[in-house]
Amino acid sequence: MDFQGIHDRLRAIGAPGLVGADEPRQGDPKDKKDKGRAGDPFVLVDPQRLTDFLRVCRDDERLCFEMLVDLTATDPAKDQAHLWVNVQLLSLRHRQRLAIKCLLEKAAPRLPTTVPVYRASQWHERECAEMFGITFEGHPDPRNVLLPADWVGHPLRKDYQYPKEYHGISCE
Amino acid sequence: MISLEQSFEDNILTTKVDWLLNWARLSSIWPMTFGLACCAIEMMAVGMAHHDIDRFGAGAFRASPRQADLMIVAGTVNFKMAERIKRLYDQMPAPKYVMAMGACATGGGPYYKYGYTVVKGVDRVIPVDVYIAGCPPRPEALLEGLMKLQEKIARSSVIRKPARTA
Amino acid sequence: MSDTHTASGLGGDARVLRSGEREFTLDVRTQDMEINFGPQHPATHGVMRILIRADGELVTGAQPHLGYLHRCAEKIGESVEWLQYLPYTDRYDYLAAMNNNLGYSMAVEAVMGIAIPRRAELIRIICAELNRIGSHLIAVGTYGMDIGAFTPFLYMFREREWMMALFEKICGARLTYSYIRIGGLFNDAPPGWFEEVALFCDTFEAKWPEYYDLLIVNKIFVKRTANVGVIPGRVCLDFGLTGPILRGSGVDWDLRRDMPYSLYGEIWRDGAFQVPVARGEMGTVGDCWDRTWVRMREMQESIRIVRWCLAHIEEGPVMAEIPKILKVPKGEAYVGIENPRGELGHYVVSDGEKMAVRVRVRGPSFCNVAVLEDVLPGALVADAVAIIGSTDIVMGETDR
Repeated sequence: MDFQGIHDRLRAIGAPGLVGADEPRQGDPKDKKDKGRAGDPFVLVDPQRLTDFLRVCRDDERLCFEMLVDLTATDPAKDQAHLWVNVQLLSLRHRQRLAIKCLLEKAAPRLPTTVPVYRASQWHERECAEMFGITFEGHPDPRNVLLPADWVGHPLRKDYQYPKEYHGISCE
Repeated sequence: MISLEQSFEDNILTTKVDWLLNWARLSSIWPMTFGLACCAIEMMAVGMAHHDIDRFGAGAFRASPRQADLMIVAGTVNFKMAERIKRLYDQMPAPKYVMAMGACATGGGPYYKYGYTVVKGVDRVIPVDVYIAGCPPRPEALLEGLMKLQEKIARSSVIRKPARTA
Repeated sequence: MSDTHTASGLGGDARVLRSGEREFTLDVRTQDMEINFGPQHPATHGVMRILIRADGELVTGAQPHLGYLHRCAEKIGESVEWLQYLPYTDRYDYLAAMNNNLGYSMAVEAVMGIAIPRRAELIRIICAELNRIGSHLIAVGTYGMDIGAFTPFLYMFREREWMMALFEKICGARLTYSYIRIGGLFNDAPPGWFEEVALFCDTFEAKWPEYYDLLIVNKIFVKRTANVGVIPGRVCLDFGLTGPILRGSGVDWDLRRDMPYSLYGEIWRDGAFQVPVARGEMGTVGDCWDRTWVRMREMQESIRIVRWCLAHIEEGPVMAEIPKILKVPKGEAYVGIENPRGELGHYVVSDGEKMAVRVRVRGPSFCNVAVLEDVLPGALVADAVAIIGSTDIVMGETDR
């Protein structure tokens, strides 16, 4: 199925948390500022319902997304109020991919963990948590995975301040 | 290693002892397997048949720091690893040498500007004897670094100062 | 039930064996040991630390710790220009640098929506497949070394040196190439390069049975790896494992055939390569031997793909028309390619500027390491080494 087919199927089965979809488009010739968007289409999902949405994606026969390929986050810009949580799913049986995006408030970035649905997201969520400060509620093991345990700050945020020194070693 | 400073003057006997000890040391430098990143692959290539490091006597890579003379820091050092490097360096018995292989170990490498967890050069953590440039350095460059280290060892002496301690 | 036993010897409860011998039982208190495996260890394939809880030789718990090679690749992606990021892509999976370059370039090209010249595509595939051979040579060679066999490693490095010499002729570097660029290639192949690649293919194909006999069907290797570290197929899917681990567990999935990118669709339709899937020949399907067997067979298939590309090589440009200062149009794309270790994914977000908003690298080894927590318990400590080696993880990709 192509993206349209997947999106229609999601709407048909009433996937929980589905907010909408965004597809690549050409720019509006009348509006100089709107240059359009290139690349891949994705569906927009409410972050608080993400776990249920993923469960439906995995269990439905026509969708059958057996594998969670990637779960990550993006900080689009310093002045934007939302973080994105990006999920990439893969269906081996139907040979299709799905890109999911959730918008999280930067002030309170919390959402339930998706570990009950895919074990793969356990470590990906740990990385998101330490890099962006997102809290995955109910995560079985919320330690830092890549950074030292006492690291200050969330490095992949756009407003991250580089440290001056760490444990006596200078960073200059 | 006993220190013979001010006990003897530099005479024919001590220079011969120097020469013998230094020759023995530089011909049997045993490195520790300390490949961190991409430079480790070039270090492995140096140990292989094509660019044989064993002909310099340095082919016996020891896994344990307590049996090694040389720590070739091959790869990027970050803060999490720096504490372990210090600990491994302390575990090595004297005389010990450190070779900073590659741009990352020398001065942070390509991660210098924007790498927040990267230590800008392993010499911020442990004292380094030889720096080898390259990203990654060719195996021939590593062999030249080894030869420079051998020259450095050849210049050392039992008389002038105590042997290197931790 | 006390800790002590009487001085005479037969204290405490005694039991009688079938042979009539009397054996006393002691209430001996044992405790699980916590062994630190790494980060400096000859067999961890880089700097990884696994905290192993062992009851004698039996592993009862394993906890991998990463981050000892975290080099902030994703932050750097946001801080440097699109083309300046290419050398950083080499350095995450440094054993298969061409494939990393390819993944990143393809992700950016997907957002830009440009077409790559055919000659560039063919040379890209030749380089990627030769690099796959080199990567698998090290994977299997170091695996043999972990198990205790040093000779195959020396032999395999012989071919690897030749492969690196080939790459040195085409782009100047032995390990970190930055050759496959956004829009095509850095430069064209020098004259005589294709003939030398053909010679390499012929020689390697003749040497392959030697490696197979030396290591893979060696009795000791089989005993060490068969029925060890079995990962069932559904566990692979749940953990997001891809690559030789997935195919070694019997799941028939290869991105080059099933979701083809570049010219792989055409090569597959021409019947030029097959996808090796393990069947549990020496033990249970999904054990360490199967994964190693998949890697060995993949080397043979890579030779076939390279031969196809050599047969279809044509003249033409090697770089599409792109501006020197690249400004990628606004958009985002995810492109996953088949790295020697699994699916290497690049998720690239652009705002129309000179620098990316986000470069996310989905390293296959990061996902592959997670399964160790589940597979290692129940194995012996020596088997733990075999299992870790068979997952073929590269820490540059795990930590990025």
